Amino acid sequence: MKWTLGIAALAIGMLCLAGSADAAAKKTMGVSIPAATHGWAGGLNWHAQQAKAALEKKYPDLTIALVTAGSATRQANDLEDLVSARAIDALVILPFESDPLTEPVRQVKKAGKWVTIVDRGLTDPTIQDLYVAGNNPQMGANSANYMKDKLGGKGNIVVLRGIPTVIDNQRVDAFMEIIKKTDIKVLDMKYANWNRDDGFKVMQDFLARFPKIDAVWAQDDDITLGVIEAVKQANREKEMWILGGAGMKEMIKRVMDKDTFVPADVLYPPKMIADAMELTASKLMENAQLKKEYIVDATLVTPENAAKFYYPDSPF
Amino acid sequence: MPDPSGPDAPRPSRTRRFELKTWGPFIALGILVILGTLVNPVFLTPNNLVNVLTRTAFTGIIAIGATFVITTGGIDLSVGSLAAFIAGVMIMVMNALQPAGMAPLSVVAIGMVAALALGVGAGLINGLLVTKGRIEPFIVTLGTMGIFRSLVTYLANGGTLSLNMGTRGFYRPVYYGDLFGVTYPILVYALVATVGAVVLYRTRYGRYVTATGSNEEVARYSAIKVDRIKLAAYALQGACVALAVVLYVPRLGSASATTGLLWELEAIAAVIIGGTILKGGAGRIWGTVAGAIMLALIDNILNLTGAISVYLNAAIQGCIIIIAVLVQRDAKGRR
Amino acid sequence: MPDVVLAGRAISKSFGQVQVLFGVDFAIRRGEIHALMGENGAGKSTLMKILGGYQPASAGTVEVDGAATVLRDSGDAERLGIVMIHQEFSLAETMTVEENIYLGREVVRHGFLDRATMREGTRKVLAELECPVDPDARVGGLSVSEKQMVEIAKAVSRDVRVLIMDEPTAVLTGAETEILFRLIRRLTAQGVGVAYISHKLTEVKAISDRVTVLRDGRWVETRPTAELSPDDIARLMVGREISDMYPPRLPPPDDAPTVLAVDHLSIPGWVRDASFTLRRGEILGFAGLVGAGRTELMEGLVGLRRRTAGEVRATGVAEPIRTIDQAVAAGIAYLTEDRKGKGLLVDKPLTPNLTLLALARYGRIFVDRAAERRALVAAIAEHRIKTADLDARVASLSGGNQQKLLIAKTMQVEPKILIVDEPTRGIDVGTKHQIYLFLAAFVAAGGSVVIISSELPELIGLAHRVVVMRDGRITGTLSGADIEENEVVRHATGLKGAHADA
Repeated sequence: MKWTLGIAALAIGMLCLAGSADAAAKKTMGVSIPAATHGWAGGLNWHAQQAKAALEKKYPDLTIALVTAGSATRQANDLEDLVSARAIDALVILPFESDPLTEPVRQVKKAGKWVTIVDRGLTDPTIQDLYVAGNNPQMGANSANYMKDKLGGKGNIVVLRGIPTVIDNQRVDAFMEIIKKTDIKVLDMKYANWNRDDGFKVMQDFLARFPKIDAVWAQDDDITLGVIEAVKQANREKEMWILGGAGMKEMIKRVMDKDTFVPADVLYPPKMIADAMELTASKLMENAQLKKEYIVDATLVTPENAAKFYYPDSPF
Repeated sequence: MPDPSGPDAPRPSRTRRFELKTWGPFIALGILVILGTLVNPVFLTPNNLVNVLTRTAFTGIIAIGATFVITTGGIDLSVGSLAAFIAGVMIMVMNALQPAGMAPLSVVAIGMVAALALGVGAGLINGLLVTKGRIEPFIVTLGTMGIFRSLVTYLANGGTLSLNMGTRGFYRPVYYGDLFGVTYPILVYALVATVGAVVLYRTRYGRYVTATGSNEEVARYSAIKVDRIKLAAYALQGACVALAVVLYVPRLGSASATTGLLWELEAIAAVIIGGTILKGGAGRIWGTVAGAIMLALIDNILNLTGAISVYLNAAIQGCIIIIAVLVQRDAKGRR
Repeated sequence: MPDVVLAGRAISKSFGQVQVLFGVDFAIRRGEIHALMGENGAGKSTLMKILGGYQPASAGTVEVDGAATVLRDSGDAERLGIVMIHQEFSLAETMTVEENIYLGREVVRHGFLDRATMREGTRKVLAELECPVDPDARVGGLSVSEKQMVEIAKAVSRDVRVLIMDEPTAVLTGAETEILFRLIRRLTAQGVGVAYISHKLTEVKAISDRVTVLRDGRWVETRPTAELSPDDIARLMVGREISDMYPPRLPPPDDAPTVLAVDHLSIPGWVRDASFTLRRGEILGFAGLVGAGRTELMEGLVGLRRRTAGEVRATGVAEPIRTIDQAVAAGIAYLTEDRKGKGLLVDKPLTPNLTLLALARYGRIFVDRAAERRALVAAIAEHRIKTADLDARVASLSGGNQQKLLIAKTMQVEPKILIVDEPTRGIDVGTKHQIYLFLAAFVAAGGSVVIISSELPELIGLAHRVVVMRDGRITGTLSGADIEENEVVRHATGLKGAHADA
């Protein structure tokens, strides 16, 4: 009992010290992102940590408070803590969900802080000072165009979708917009939840059901991993190829190595968090002039440009 | 008092009534098979059936362990997270050994032993917290569920742990290989279920498991070491999870924070669909097997048809689960 | 008969292929106490459940105020003022006394529970029962007799016209029984009809106006109580003469060795410093009031309860006994008073119950199910357990047959020392007699028995010596002619003996 009290007192003391050290002309930037519960979010966390280290080195007077949350509610709590306890000057946030976080972020803005929104836009875009995002419709469209060209405008494909969300809908809608105008037949679409095990299961059943598949749009590289194993098991690698998305290092590597089974990938890079942090830091420390919006292109990765997007140390 | 050998003497009930309760899970399974065939003839092809049964093996094996834990009156929510954690550690162990120039067979064997040791160890921790710590199993395993899940996230640095290519090639047949067309996971699953049934129905330990769940006080007053019985059940559950992981890792050769997500609910659902009573005291291994297969079949059938909106998948699953349990309820008035 | 409020006419009932009631007639008049007697399994409880709306009759009619009525469930019966108090309490253990008493008919004002009114009502009915229980106490924390009082309070707090009581005094002390009787008389004076099931002949003689006797599911006799002596009733129930209730007592030889020595045993919260010895061939009785610590002493003795001091040694065993395994290994078996809670798995069939304690004898790892089956057939014959079906669940047996099964289970380990705790509670005369014969035969064959009983005649009729306990202490040990009612009561209440009140 006594020693737990002692430790608690010590911890409180250290927190106070840390707080007072920040006091001078130093600046604090808060970064709030979802916890690493799947591959892409894992990459997000890794890039955020890399950027924190690099930026704190570049700007000695900058402290970055990085917090991760497992749910929208927790993230809203985190925001309150960042403002009151960490006294941040700017906030970089990748909202868990758009709706529930709009009001909490508005409170941060009202407190006079700079707000950078990443990836998932709030329902009220006037809150943000800066918006950094991937381009979901473009990702769907680029994927469709690539498949159209490579299939010569005809053939049978199957589609594995993500989790029923706005992001998934935007990608699939843009994809279908283009595919509809071709002779490509979409045999069926099923949700695979951006999860490799579900990708495996759904693909196994597609393979049992359809005797002739020319290509697979897996949309996401986690799903792609499962799809690859299912196709391999059925010994049908020669029959079809797979297009994933996001930019997982294993997939980029395959593209780089001119794998015919996974000939290309479409970027939706988790690195966007690092870009957002860098832009916000330059505003905060150097008062750099920024545009209102930076949209990260859903670049098509082919063997020609793959090396540029390969981060072998990233977990994703 | 009538003479016991007279006409009133007790007799074994030969004319046992047909009990829906006993046969419910198997009837439901049969109906589901017919439904699947109607939906798409591809359903009955050996290829598809083997695929589905092979997939069932992971949660199926875990559900065998869960049958024991639930029969003692406990519950283990940590199995899905534990599976992910064991998979992560197993991959790391094998990746560390391979560059040391060890033969692939030894690498995989050591990996398997490590997985089993970890599974049993984790089960013992759950069991000790329940028995010695006197904490509700629900709370204990809710806690370890979070712990195991975040440990694997930490080990994977938030990303994915992948098995080195060399080992993967050697290990791959454990999932994909077969014996006369029956894959190894199905064989292992059948073996685990058979052993589970023999242990639960034929051994002293199995009897004690049932007695403990039926009435812990009666068991204690019958000189049964209730704590040890429970501890062993959680350890058994851990071993089952490890065995499932040993079969799972060669499938995709990777583990991440999403590995084994919601497996605990699938396993518990399989156990309850199979007719085991959630509050303990009555376990049914073959019912659990039927339940696990049903859950996999529902997914499979929905994937084989384009007729039902994908948005309704979960609703259909929920309905089938509820109906499957409903048909097991006896006529009103009898328990 | 215009004053009959509730009657069953030619009631028959079958469960599956087993018929348990054969055309029975039973009527309750306004303001009378009508006792229903019969051995366990005679069909008393089933008949009462039919009249209380809990079960439908297979044939025959239920009449309320002379009109044939169909009671679909107990709710129907309660609306007509017919309330049944069960042997098994139907109280919600985690709820308070007040919540239980008003369960299902809560007083609501403006959409909210009117706690004040309900608490006042609860207080009033508990005061009427002279029952000092806090309305806010959780039922789970009450003693068995307090629960019984709450159950009765729950019944009488409703607008009751017919009260059906199934062995209400089985768990009550003498004083509590007196209170209950006063209450019952007050109710009958107001015109309530009471159906009263009991095994206690003296009690029935004292309180009831008429007696109906059932035997093997058939009506035998209905007569005014005044015309029958307790012996008459017993004869009607059993269908034959019961010559001697207690078997002849063979004293153990003077040189009979001590088989069990208990030394300064203390069980925290219950027992302080208890010492006694047991000799081969002896029946040692334990008397005392409920709560004196007799059960707890025995549970501590065999290692089922934590003890803080003392030692237990069995002759011929080197190690002192600390755990239940050691006790069983030393040939000591304890037969609990809580048959359903601690003795038997009521949801399970007979076989696993019979062999649970001695399962190691049926195989080290695998259980030999054929041997278990043989053991069950043997036990059913030896202990005359009445069951229609070898695969029946224990819950389907009557109380007496459950008790016989529990004895058979205990005997599976072939004990040398048998500790039996209230072995005849809630059991009919015939089965009681059978259990007495069994205990006598057990000691005659060289075994030793410790028997806890709250029925003094039983201890007086069976025991060679009687140990009396009060407040967790042994206050005296009586033997020979000293074993008589007054002497025991004086020790039990602190008027006499060690640690007597000054």
